[in-house]
Amino acid sequence: MFVLTGAFLVIFINPFLNRCFHFNFIQGWYQSLGIGKLWFVSPLEGIESILVAKLIYTPLLIGMLIPVLLALFLGRVFCSWICPISFLSEVMDWIRLRFSPHQRLKDHFMLARKFLWFVLMIEVTVTMVLGAPIFVFLSPPGLVGREIMMVVFFKTMAVEGVVVIIVLIMNLVTRRFFCRYLCPLGALLAFIGSSRKLKVTLSDPSSCVDCGFCSKACLMGLSPQLWESHTAYCWNCGECVDTCPKGVLDYRWSPPKIQSSLHPASGPEVKPTH
Amino acid sequence: MGSLGVLFLLGSWRKAFGRVHLFKTPVITNHLRPPGAVPEEIFLGKCIRCGRCAEVCSYLSIGMLDAHWGVHAGTPVIDVEDIPCYLCMKCVEVCPTGTLQKVKQQEVRMGLAVVNQRQCVSWKGEILCRSCYNACPFREKAIYMRDQIMPVVDERYCTGCGLCTKACPTHPKAININPVYAFQRVKW
Repeated sequence: MFVLTGAFLVIFINPFLNRCFHFNFIQGWYQSLGIGKLWFVSPLEGIESILVAKLIYTPLLIGMLIPVLLALFLGRVFCSWICPISFLSEVMDWIRLRFSPHQRLKDHFMLARKFLWFVLMIEVTVTMVLGAPIFVFLSPPGLVGREIMMVVFFKTMAVEGVVVIIVLIMNLVTRRFFCRYLCPLGALLAFIGSSRKLKVTLSDPSSCVDCGFCSKACLMGLSPQLWESHTAYCWNCGECVDTCPKGVLDYRWSPPKIQSSLHPASGPEVKPTH
Repeated sequence: MGSLGVLFLLGSWRKAFGRVHLFKTPVITNHLRPPGAVPEEIFLGKCIRCGRCAEVCSYLSIGMLDAHWGVHAGTPVIDVEDIPCYLCMKCVEVCPTGTLQKVKQQEVRMGLAVVNQRQCVSWKGEILCRSCYNACPFREKAIYMRDQIMPVVDERYCTGCGLCTKACPTHPKAININPVYAFQRVKW
């Protein structure tokens, strides 16, 4: 949560620094962030730009390198630890828990998790057909930064900000509905990180008591005690690690492979689950 | 009251959605892309709308389009009648995608200044105005005075920065920037 707040503060304070003090050391937001001479470019935006323009520009590839490597080793950590939408959703959840009579947020509407891949494919296809990159001007993480910048620089807000509000309203139906099923950038990062090194793992399966707290806490609707945290859909946020009353769940660097979540008894130490 | 309310609603509807362009390019006379921009044909695809050029611009010359411009939403545009480009060349340094290519100050071609001789008070012989000549950063090269009276633009040196348009006192402006270079075809 501190990381998330810090990451949000970077894009929140930054326009003021740029506007009022012409302090250009840190610049931009999570579509393209420049810290000094080090540039980051969001991978999906970069890929769209290359696909549509059919031209390759080396600084763009270098800027995409670090986010891609991060996703390759750590998975979707951008989504859970940095993304401003995630921050706003956390704030919204906090407010809801303060005021809601029943002290737990529920998921009311579920889709198949594979929907995420279809969204990525549809998005790339539409981009190629239209010849105009869709995600670059309708991406909620980028829009948050752009709205803040527009307010600071031009004292106006762009109409596209409605998208951010819609995404936040979707949280009322299902926690992180957009992030789970509809975010193409998340899908791309999940695809890159599908064989990531850092995974949430049952470190001592015999002491797991099947209380199910972790699957209730999981924002993505996964069940870590059924080894679902090893699938591509886990975004390594660590909610389950914090919730586990026995302290069984933990981050592991390149844990041994589990063949399938339905047949977890591949190793002798793995506890058979229901 | 009811009909008034409906009228008011219609009016606000027109205000909010009246001038929606889905694919129309925003680059017209006096509305230009920042320095070093690639041709308009591929600008749309190359720009990732990160807004860093607008953020780095010290003069607030670079504005960002909103959703009224359809697929062009979030791309940078300079309205030279409002704030022209001072050619500080900071934006070309920060562009991460190569949409704004690194060019030298004198090689910028955002557009071409065109003097409207029927509008210009110097050409009409009414008064002696040298506003555009004085404002031009490449004085005597891009704009020179014919017979020390009438301003003439040399297309070999004009960068299209728009300082002359901003300085022109007439209304409508007698010197305008035409984005003639923005619609070149791209050679693959």
